[in-house]
Amino acid sequence: MSFSSESVLGGADHLLRLAMAGLTVGLYTLLSPFGYTFFALLYLLPTRDPLARTRRLQAVTAWAFRFMHDWLRALRLTDFDPRLALRDVPPGPKVVVANHPTLMDVTSIAAALGGGVSIAKPTLFRRRSLAPIMRGAGHVEGPGRDPLSARRALDDAVTRLEQGFTLIIFPEGTRSHPGMLHPFSRAAFEIACRARVPVVSVAITCEPVWLSKEVPLRRVPRAGVPVLRLATLAVDDPADVDFSSRRLGRRVEERFQHWLAATVCDRPVPPSEPSKDASCPTTPSKSA
Amino acid sequence: MSDDTIEERLKTLIVETLALEDVEPSSIENDMPLFGEGLGLDSIDALELALAIQTEFGVRTQENDEKNREYYYSVSSLANFIRDRQAQAADAKA
Repeated sequence: MSFSSESVLGGADHLLRLAMAGLTVGLYTLLSPFGYTFFALLYLLPTRDPLARTRRLQAVTAWAFRFMHDWLRALRLTDFDPRLALRDVPPGPKVVVANHPTLMDVTSIAAALGGGVSIAKPTLFRRRSLAPIMRGAGHVEGPGRDPLSARRALDDAVTRLEQGFTLIIFPEGTRSHPGMLHPFSRAAFEIACRARVPVVSVAITCEPVWLSKEVPLRRVPRAGVPVLRLATLAVDDPADVDFSSRRLGRRVEERFQHWLAATVCDRPVPPSEPSKDASCPTTPSKSA
Repeated sequence: MSDDTIEERLKTLIVETLALEDVEPSSIENDMPLFGEGLGLDSIDALELALAIQTEFGVRTQENDEKNREYYYSVSSLANFIRDRQAQAADAKA
């Protein structure tokens, strides 16, 4: 068996990035309790203006996410510069909706936009270590098992928009497989219609795929440094659809499907991923 | 009013209230899950449906009731919930 110098170098590069990923996880495990404690102290500081405190904590979170992405870029684990992404997004309160291929989606959007509140699962929202971040930075507790508990989450999200925050939502509800979209939930669009704020559609790609459902942290891609890209697809004004969340949701979902068909399915597929034929037929059917 | 009527009225209510364009009331099976993999309704649909049920059947669904998930599971479970609440209301009047 013979090895070319290219493959040996490629193997060494992959091993190095694997070691850097291990180092990153180790340092995170070691240092994150201090970060959480620092954040909790900031949250517990007495204030006369809770809203100003929320804004400060949003800024701290965005700074932490930028640092994380700078770190990952410096170690060649990912290629993403939050300072260069989403510069065309309009200022002011808005609902940002995005597809959800990786675990880095929320951190990358928040880092690029300088913050943003999200709707977190109740189990995550109430976790003791995360509660100061969740409450302090103004995130919204998502609906529980009761299907009617969405009303409270909707009201809280609308309040956040009225306070001037940006809301980040993944309408698929969970991470999607490469080349596919889950059916969109209507919640993001209902919130935008009620708050009368624009919906910004952000398309996310990660090539080669990493931190997706199929490719976990430990499987650092051999094919090269994953490039994370965020692109603004469109800005929709709910007034254009007479504040109908159903029409707004359908319009945005169709746009994402067209984008996916035009962009993702044209990319070369690495051997480690399912073939394009298997992954491209987009959205699983939804009756409504 | 027969028991079947509630199921049939519910199916029509679901299709009309939620504007399900590709769904006929007759195609909804009584035991089909309304959410997720079944009919594919979401939490906003649940809120709209609860309001419509209150208007159509005079039955109010309490929020933050863990049992709502069971009540809103299918047309059958929803019809049973409506029958129970209507019977309770009739007993209270008697």
